[in-house]
Amino acid sequence: MLGYRLQKRDEPWNWGVPIVIVGALVLSFGISALLLELQGKSAVQGLLVLWQGSFGASWALEDALLKSIPIFLCALGVATAFRMQVWNIGAEGQFALGAIGATWAALTFPDLPGIVLMPLMFICAAIFGAFWAYIPAILRLKLQVNEIISTLMLNYIAILLLEYLVFGAWKDPASFGFPVTPEFTPGAIIGQIGDSRLHWGFAVCVGSGIAMWAFMRFTRLGFEIKVAGEGERIAMYSRLPYGMLTILVMAISGALAGWAGCIEASATINRLQPSIMVGYGYTAIVVAWLARLHPLYIGISAYLLAALRVGVENMQLELQTPASFGSIMEGLILMSVLAGQMFVTYKIVKKK
Amino acid sequence: MSQTDFTRPECQKATGFEGCAPLISLKGITKRFGKVVANNDISLDLYPGRIKALLGENGAGKSTLMSMLAGRFRPDEGYIEVDGKRVDFSNSKDAIKAGVGMVYQHFMLVDTMTVAQNVLLGQEGGFFVNPKEMEERVRKLAEDYELEIDPSAKVSTLSMGEKQRVEILKLLYRESRVLIFDEPTAVLTPREAFRLFEALWAMTRQGKSVVFISHKLEEVMAIADEVAILRRGNIDAEVSRDKITSKADLACRMVGKEVILEVDKEDVEIGDKVLEVKDMTGIGLRDINLEVRKGEVVAIVGVAGNGQQELVEGVCGMRKPPKDKIFIMGKPWRKFFAEMTWNNSMSYIPEDRLDLATARNLDLVDNLLLSTRQGFSAGPLLQHDKAAKVAEELVEEYDVRPGRIRALAWQLSGGNLQKMVLARELYRQPHLIVAEQPTQGLDISATEEVWNRLLEARKMAGVLLVTGDLGEALQLADRVAVMYCGQIMDEFSVNDKEKVDSIGLLMAGVRE
Repeated sequence: MLGYRLQKRDEPWNWGVPIVIVGALVLSFGISALLLELQGKSAVQGLLVLWQGSFGASWALEDALLKSIPIFLCALGVATAFRMQVWNIGAEGQFALGAIGATWAALTFPDLPGIVLMPLMFICAAIFGAFWAYIPAILRLKLQVNEIISTLMLNYIAILLLEYLVFGAWKDPASFGFPVTPEFTPGAIIGQIGDSRLHWGFAVCVGSGIAMWAFMRFTRLGFEIKVAGEGERIAMYSRLPYGMLTILVMAISGALAGWAGCIEASATINRLQPSIMVGYGYTAIVVAWLARLHPLYIGISAYLLAALRVGVENMQLELQTPASFGSIMEGLILMSVLAGQMFVTYKIVKKK
Repeated sequence: MSQTDFTRPECQKATGFEGCAPLISLKGITKRFGKVVANNDISLDLYPGRIKALLGENGAGKSTLMSMLAGRFRPDEGYIEVDGKRVDFSNSKDAIKAGVGMVYQHFMLVDTMTVAQNVLLGQEGGFFVNPKEMEERVRKLAEDYELEIDPSAKVSTLSMGEKQRVEILKLLYRESRVLIFDEPTAVLTPREAFRLFEALWAMTRQGKSVVFISHKLEEVMAIADEVAILRRGNIDAEVSRDKITSKADLACRMVGKEVILEVDKEDVEIGDKVLEVKDMTGIGLRDINLEVRKGEVVAIVGVAGNGQQELVEGVCGMRKPPKDKIFIMGKPWRKFFAEMTWNNSMSYIPEDRLDLATARNLDLVDNLLLSTRQGFSAGPLLQHDKAAKVAEELVEEYDVRPGRIRALAWQLSGGNLQKMVLARELYRQPHLIVAEQPTQGLDISATEEVWNRLLEARKMAGVLLVTGDLGEALQLADRVAVMYCGQIMDEFSVNDKEKVDSIGLLMAGVRE
């Protein structure tokens, strides 16, 4: 095209990865600025407000850190599945099930001391989330159902299930008709670290991030997951239990998203209500890709996308941009990063 | 055999094209993929009214050559002439414009449209085309070439043979003068195949040139006017059909027997049975009996697609054979694989080095761990350092280049990758080695290395060697088994001169 063509590189352009990511970010912010101008708003002011809201104040930094907790856990989960080329798009639903599981424990045993109740909530959240991820895994293995579609559709079912519970069986009689559960007892609420707004859920993130990194790097099972991601035929040649591994990665994925749901319900809103579903599970997919599935980079990109969310909220307040502007920016970033990855394996050369 | 009835009736002969200039000439075409030469200085003329069969084993370079003719690759050296004028195809559109069309094994049709719509799809002309007229045009074209088809039928309702006819019509409608068929009968029933041949004859009568890629000997015998045999990227022979006396003659020409390399083979003590196949019928095979003992090499030879792959996959656990027919190291198949350990067991060196024996995006250490990871386990942990050390040693010992253990599998040339696979599989100290086309695509020095290693391995293992190269089988094997149509035709010692000379016949399915 136009005298240029694509040629495959002999070696992947590894040191070009940061360039590609920065380039993709610049491109998506450029397009966002253009969109602001189209709405008749000043693009410069818009990006300034966005920056202010994201990084310009201590409350913004803290807010972003809080939001990055559930995003990080969901992203860590989907990255595990992605590494095996199992496309789990269902972190959102698994997150919802985790919140449901934790809430069930919190409402059923409100009088247990925190030291017993809290682990119980995490266990329930993990089991519920893992179960939700197990369904598409089994469907894929037994009936060759494409997991992209089944995980995505299960998200909607999960959200409806959550609403059904909150509007019905678990509705707080003292809520004046609002769809919320009773507030959790103190034993079911994750406490703050010191006198900051940051809560101990952050420690869970750090712990599971390190654990996942070590698992993938040092254990045989981690290695087997990596190999299984290279294709089913190689898995067969290497005598890997491909089906078992698929179930395992989906269960890990679901459990981590479940924990995110548990932490959100317990630490952030102290109860279950429909507004808990704000799309962290979808942001997590963007985060995992930006980070190329590496746990440390997932931490960084989770924070950046959380900051973007906070910044966009600020823009909404100050510039009255529509609420979906954040999703548009997120989508732009994902698309341009994915498209940019082409340059890692291909280069553009002049036609002879 | 009903298939052998396909001889060309006298009335089907294309006449009036004698002495015509070639439609297309390939001039000194060379194509390399990395260090591997897929096509080496190939020249070929395609004449109007003639069917040229291109015969060769898998990996001989047939598909590469035809892909260049169809504009999908560009040759590294040499060029193509159309009607005596040099052309340069940069994509398949150019090739189609020049009158070259290819019918691939996988059809590219829109299932929900009718035959006529598919044929006219993407054609220039008015925006609105009258369906009646469209169908009429296609009907006329089909009749001219004796392709029986209903132009108004939906493609999704057609049989494989009918779909193929639609593909052919697409090319004829674009006025292709050279039609290339890549193993066209692979998807057809014998009856459909015969009808395809009639259509091919009809095309030649109209002055088209046909290239027929196949490794089914009887079909080539039946329909070709001339046969070009490709071996290891070279045109080994180009003969007119009249010069070929029999199927066996053709088989011999195809596999060749010339010695490209000789290796010394010392005697090794013969030990226990490590593989036994007893009266196995199923998974595409019939009445297979086979035995491999420690210390010997048993070669399976035959034209590709006669059941060798099924046999190997059955033995190596890639597909499930019938119960209690295969015994490995004395254990029934199911028990063997349930109890299989990483070492002192079985090694499989597959034909597909990249994407089966190795994972292209993993480095050499990870690829070493692919089949040896149990040996590097400490509880749930994997000893990467120890594996890296072993990988380092193996790379050194087998001279795998480049000598970096962090190189990714796809960055290695075929020969070096094969050495790495061999190094890994022999490191496992196997008692049974199944090697499938172990030297395909390798240069002489790599071939020699692989041969010597396999002979060396006889001290610990029995080797089942599956090869399309008769020279290789005769150099390495103690015994040779010839496969044809899923059966073992005969099995004999390589020292049995008389039998060895009859291998060509056996491969063609002829028993004296």
